[in-house]
Amino acid sequence: MAPRVVVIGLASDFGCQVQMTNIEDDLLDVLGLIDLQYWQLASSGHMPDSYDVAIVEGAVTTLEHIATLERVRATASAVIAIGACAVTGGIPALASHGRLEERYSLVYGDGPSVAPGRIKPQAVDSVIDVDYRIPGCPIDMGEFVQVLSRALQGLSDHLPQEPLCAICKTKENVCFYERGEVCLGVLTRTGCDARCVSLGRPCTGCRGLAEDANLESALRLLDERGIDTSDVLVRARLYNTLEEAFTR
Amino acid sequence: MFFRIMDKSRVLDLVAGLSQDFEVLGPVSKGDAFVYQRIDDPADLRLDYDTTLLPPKKLFFPPEEQMMRFRVADNEVVDDEVYAAPRVIFGLHPCDINGLLLMDNVFLRDYVDPYYKARRDSTLIVGVSCTPQESCFCNAWNTDEVHWGFDIFLTDLGDRYFVSVRSVKGAELLDDHVETRPITDADTAEFQRVAREFEAGFSDELNTSQLPLLLDAKFESPIWDELGERCLSCGACSMVCPTCYCFDVIDRLEPDQKTGVRIRKWDSCQFTEFASVAHGQNFRESRASRVKYRYYHKQWGYLSKFERVLCVGCGRCARACLAGISPREVVTALEAGGVGE
Repeated sequence: MAPRVVVIGLASDFGCQVQMTNIEDDLLDVLGLIDLQYWQLASSGHMPDSYDVAIVEGAVTTLEHIATLERVRATASAVIAIGACAVTGGIPALASHGRLEERYSLVYGDGPSVAPGRIKPQAVDSVIDVDYRIPGCPIDMGEFVQVLSRALQGLSDHLPQEPLCAICKTKENVCFYERGEVCLGVLTRTGCDARCVSLGRPCTGCRGLAEDANLESALRLLDERGIDTSDVLVRARLYNTLEEAFTR
Repeated sequence: MFFRIMDKSRVLDLVAGLSQDFEVLGPVSKGDAFVYQRIDDPADLRLDYDTTLLPPKKLFFPPEEQMMRFRVADNEVVDDEVYAAPRVIFGLHPCDINGLLLMDNVFLRDYVDPYYKARRDSTLIVGVSCTPQESCFCNAWNTDEVHWGFDIFLTDLGDRYFVSVRSVKGAELLDDHVETRPITDADTAEFQRVAREFEAGFSDELNTSQLPLLLDAKFESPIWDELGERCLSCGACSMVCPTCYCFDVIDRLEPDQKTGVRIRKWDSCQFTEFASVAHGQNFRESRASRVKYRYYHKQWGYLSKFERVLCVGCGRCARACLAGISPREVVTALEAGGVGE
């Protein structure tokens, strides 16, 4: 029996779910492997009570999200968090600092009734255990297929640990720092094929802080190069505001 | 080896001629930098390049390559052919030719690597002389000159090239595609003068005497901790190195889960996962130990087997390292006893 899969969206722009529809050539192969029971973005049905794999997009921003995740964890044998919002808190987590209510008022005016039970935004794994993570904004579909394949085979999660620079070198990109421009690739988890940098845009850190990254040294070295390191940290917080290392 | 003289203006003829029979690759500009690439228009070839972002190893041992395909159901290999078209790499500097010779020791000796071998066997090399750059220290390892590893080598004498012909194939390339003339005593004298001028062009002499001994004697030196604190563990040094040959092998299933591909991709000893083994044990957990290992392997481990250091002094790692760690700095620090400022 094919594993029953559900796709759930929490607080996000659903960009990663849209990205999932972009598998194109491989979509039918992937759909052939699974019994897709519910896809919040693409199906009109209801969440089933029983399933095997839950793919979760988005950050946790309400009590309802917490309840949903607790149900998901109690039901699914494998939980896959996809996208920056789910993995690091991403953009929604920018609201986690300062006064949350003021932020809502600023956007929605007085007495906002949106998002009842709202809480400070957080990543999915701060609420429940997550088995597989696919970081990035949006996710890379090649990585999605590989991680889904790992989950279906019962292999453990295997996120790359090192920063982006190595793969970026193999693309023969000229380093942004040689031009005195900030690029977060030196701190950011690889796995995206250095796509942005190869297209001429510096890395914005959407895949989160790499375990191997040496933040202390990087900040010191950038400072020596005359780069404003407080600016580097502000940029790094865009997708990683919950990362303690970036909040000093 | 024999020698001919070729007018500089004839280079385009030679490249155009070669293109009829071979795929021709060489240095072309990419922004302010240079890369080895397929030459479709001979005018794109930039023999005045300083260095390239990646060394020519990428043409023999690509950053990522498929080794084979396999069927999941019966575990059978279905495709492990290596296709290598006949080609000429035009314009390699001595350091990079020496880099390939050092790679040959690894990929063509005890265990012959069919992927590397197929590409090596189908490739002819045309070398070209260079001008020492600030970051070059090939003179420290005597890799500033080459005596083999090329089919033709062009030494720039201003208006003409002094052509060293090393192989029968090289002689055929010249005969078939370009007009040359015999050398005269004046050409040889000029060649000698250019060689001496080249030698004098290096910014400084790196003291590498007794380096293996120094490395062993300073195994516990605080130098390694200081370098470890600085190292960004990004692996850029390994990627741009013409002699770093480590790779990781990965099996990936196709989306239908019926077939898979085994790929290999460049790895770096600076990554924590490099020395991570089953059961989660990691025998090079600290950055300092990883930086140290890199230097021990290059300047001592490889030397103990092949009597050469695994470095050609091209300076690419020094250019690529944001932390400014380079063989020149490490050797100097070992000599002086500290990293200093």
